[in-house]
Amino acid sequence: MASATLYSVSDGLASALLHALGSVLPGPARAAVTNPNVIVGLAVLIFAVILLAASMLNTILLIWWERKLLGRFMDRRGAMHVGFAGLLQNFADGLKLFRKNTFQPQEADPLGFYTGPCAYMVTSLIIFGVLPISSGWNAGTLPLTLLLALAIFSFAPLFIFVSAWSSNNKYSLMGGMRSAAQMIAYEVPILLAVVAVILVAGSFNLTTIVYEQQNYWFWGPLVVALIVFVAGMLAEMERIPFDLPEAEAELVEGWNTEYGGMLFAFFMLADYLRALVGSILVVLLFLGGWTMPTWVPGALTSFPLAGIFWFMVKTYTVFGLFVWVRASLPRVRTDQLLRVGWNRMIPLSLLSIFLAAVLVTVKCLPLLGCVPGVGS
Amino acid sequence: MSEMWINMGPQHPMTHGLWNLRVKIDGEMILDVDPEMGYLHRGIEKISEDRHYNEVITLMDRCCYVAGFAWEHLYIQSAEQALGLRPPERAEYLRVLCDEFQRIASHLMWYAAFVQDIGLMSPFLYGMRDRDLVLDLFQSYTGARMTYEYMRVGGVRNDVPPGFTDQARKVLDWLSDRFVEYDQLCLGSTIFRERCDDLGTLKANDCVAHGVTGPMLRAAGLKRDLRKDRPYAAYDRLEFDVAVADSADVTARYLVRMEEMRQSVRILRQVVDWLDRHPGPVLAERLPRWLGAPYAPIGNEGYLLKRHYAKGVGFSAVEEPHGEAQAYVVNDGGEHPYRVKFRSPVFANISAARQYLVGYHVADIPPIMGSVDVCVGEVDR
Repeated sequence: MASATLYSVSDGLASALLHALGSVLPGPARAAVTNPNVIVGLAVLIFAVILLAASMLNTILLIWWERKLLGRFMDRRGAMHVGFAGLLQNFADGLKLFRKNTFQPQEADPLGFYTGPCAYMVTSLIIFGVLPISSGWNAGTLPLTLLLALAIFSFAPLFIFVSAWSSNNKYSLMGGMRSAAQMIAYEVPILLAVVAVILVAGSFNLTTIVYEQQNYWFWGPLVVALIVFVAGMLAEMERIPFDLPEAEAELVEGWNTEYGGMLFAFFMLADYLRALVGSILVVLLFLGGWTMPTWVPGALTSFPLAGIFWFMVKTYTVFGLFVWVRASLPRVRTDQLLRVGWNRMIPLSLLSIFLAAVLVTVKCLPLLGCVPGVGS
Repeated sequence: MSEMWINMGPQHPMTHGLWNLRVKIDGEMILDVDPEMGYLHRGIEKISEDRHYNEVITLMDRCCYVAGFAWEHLYIQSAEQALGLRPPERAEYLRVLCDEFQRIASHLMWYAAFVQDIGLMSPFLYGMRDRDLVLDLFQSYTGARMTYEYMRVGGVRNDVPPGFTDQARKVLDWLSDRFVEYDQLCLGSTIFRERCDDLGTLKANDCVAHGVTGPMLRAAGLKRDLRKDRPYAAYDRLEFDVAVADSADVTARYLVRMEEMRQSVRILRQVVDWLDRHPGPVLAERLPRWLGAPYAPIGNEGYLLKRHYAKGVGFSAVEEPHGEAQAYVVNDGGEHPYRVKFRSPVFANISAARQYLVGYHVADIPPIMGSVDVCVGEVDR
């Protein structure tokens, strides 16, 4: 399966479909549907649909995973009744939200009120186009995928603030302000921590970064960067302890107070899409992506789609850690959050860059690998 | 952002009930607050005037829905004083049993709500889980989990069932182990200390000036507890310490409530041992039929009998989980109390909100109000 890529699969599917269609059509029409450009167009469409379905499915599974884990941390079982072990509970919840009436507050600005959640959702989805899930399982091999992913990731505060402001609600506005302040404050240390990874990997391309980790995963030598990145991601995802933009104790529901029905579901889904992106980025940048160390028996790493399987295992484990944090920490206050962001995280991330530069300069990286090398 | 007023309530996650905190904010800073109560007013004092003495007990359970027993006890004591009755000793111990278990249940409820206010998710369910054990005990001898109607003028309705004391000891053992976990989750957390230290400070003289009582007062370092200072029921025969803390902030209130739960466990162990050794009646003998009847439904012929008690007034003060509650009952010789008046500790505690909220951040409102332990049922009555 190593040679199969997501694109080749959809390309094969598209050409098979169009050739089958062409075989029953008369000459000129056959030539039109079997035109290579048409095939490529359909292939891209199929590719996008697969990606959309996979990311949505994973997001919903992620919510289930969080509910079950959180339940266990709280000495209860979590969702149990819909489907096996509550697997279908989120679909039921989604259906419920879908059937609900979407309403708009009287003084709200319709343009911002409706485009905000949609844009938030769309930008969260676009990121999946550039994230490699396994060798070859990504949309394209742009040289700057990491930068692109982070750039799209940082659109969020804008749309959150637009929807918060246009809701015409004081709680929404305060949540939006907090959200914007928080996300902007934590984007800086995240980007600086990523710089450390880029220095060591020598590339902006996520696939290359993963292949650079074949001999040693980056979390060992770059542990400072990992800490900064994970803490920053917690803030970017707006999860406890950094969930103050939607701190329900004081701000009701923060910036999405006025949203109901499907628009609320958009926010919810986009939040978890971003959580998934965050976990995936941690895996890609620090935990070796889809590669596994050599001491893992070959049988465990050579079955079909083993790369994707291990990638998912790592992603859900990382997200499980986020859930653990959520289950055991209180929420910080805005000023404390910003103080930590500017006073602690940025110096730490600068330190991580310095350490990475030293490591690269003295060329002792392979010696520092904390995980035994994967070897070829 | 310019200055603006926001309404935190009457339906808001911070309020834990039905009241409104109007807050004037500038960005994240609190400039002014104005608590508005009265959304849950049911006229309990007025309704009491049309009710038989024992029927008022039903209202007391609804007065404070997390500490029903404390309010039953409060009313019962002043009603007994007004009627000139005395309960048997076993009933007094049973009342202490009710009171102290209720204090634990109420403080656990407070703990659950409070940690939720500062964003701690798991302990919320731990608190509720352990409170359920106490409620199970209540259910085993009163039949109800929140609205008990258990105490009676002249005693209590019934004795505890056989085997109750063993079960109670098990629950007490379980609870004393859990308190350690609670402290680890809260005091052991740096974020918790960052959030709660030096927050919502209300010094002792301000507490006295505003009539603030209970754990808030003791957290300010004033050692005042009606169970010691003005003993009622069987408290003068039981050993316990009054929990106090010095720093007068949210952490201090947390510490005081936690220590109170430990002291309650200590009291309860003595009470349970006493109950095992001293069987006896739980309802005063020679009550008139209309008072002695375990249940006195309207239409019961005993209900119509003339009473033979002299006129009188009764006053009682009880250290309720939230603070000092007081009751005043006037008996003018009729079958109903002529006038019933209650003093709610939480009303005074909330009314002082401006003293301990102004100057802090909006994000501090939930922990501070959480540390006050609001029960709107008794505020509005």
